[in-house]
Amino acid sequence: MIEQGIFWILTLFLVGGSLGMITSRHSVFASANFMLAMIALSGIFALLNQSFLFLAQILVAVGAVITLALLVIVSVNIHQRYTPDEPNMRRWLAGVSLLVLPFFVLLINTAGKMPISFKDVPAEFGTVRGVGATLFSDWVLPFELVSILLLVAMLAAIIISRRGGDHDA
Amino acid sequence: MPEYYLALAALLFCIGLVGAVSRRNLFVIYMSIELMLNAINLMLATFARAQNDHGGTVMALLLIAVIASEAAVFLSMIITLFRTNRTIDADFFTNLSQEQNP
Repeated sequence: MIEQGIFWILTLFLVGGSLGMITSRHSVFASANFMLAMIALSGIFALLNQSFLFLAQILVAVGAVITLALLVIVSVNIHQRYTPDEPNMRRWLAGVSLLVLPFFVLLINTAGKMPISFKDVPAEFGTVRGVGATLFSDWVLPFELVSILLLVAMLAAIIISRRGGDHDA
Repeated sequence: MPEYYLALAALLFCIGLVGAVSRRNLFVIYMSIELMLNAINLMLATFARAQNDHGGTVMALLLIAVIASEAAVFLSMIITLFRTNRTIDADFFTNLSQEQNP
């Protein structure tokens, strides 16, 4: 089954990238690992026949968000002495993993008992045409609210990061 | 097969939770929060595929926009915090948890 093989390869990259992200000490390595994980996640979207979501994930999450994070990490140019050295990082990670483990087992149990299965897809499923028809008929109000949210977030980013903005506000 | 995708989403969410709680680097905390949001995205896409309904896809798309705005605000906050305090150590910002400023 070729689809299953692709799924496991993408899962390997996704989980490996995420684990590398939370265990790496350098911010640049962390964001490179995270970029790997996000590209693998967009591949998973493609496996789910969500072609429009795949495109949006590549364009926005990989192309804009992580690139912006990398740009910020590089441009503030943080010297190694300003980053936390975190001597007990592995102990913290292990302890919090033990705390989160019961929650994870609960989630896995719930996912295993879910009475759903993949049926045959209609031809329009996940394409720009099908998603756009739903987006502009049933979801117009959330769409407009999200556009306002994006505008407010852009203004907030400009105002927060203005030089001296925290003193004369 | 949907169980595998849902289990993968659960695993990603838990990895993000562990990273957000246990790390002190602000950049890693930011990326862990983003990983949790993307795990929710994967779950929504899986449900949309299982029900052959575009509602989950549209919700995932709107969530991508929310992730983008979160990234803009969080990164500008990190820039401001680094500029005023010269550190990105999350344990340094403890003013709200103490009775008076040190």
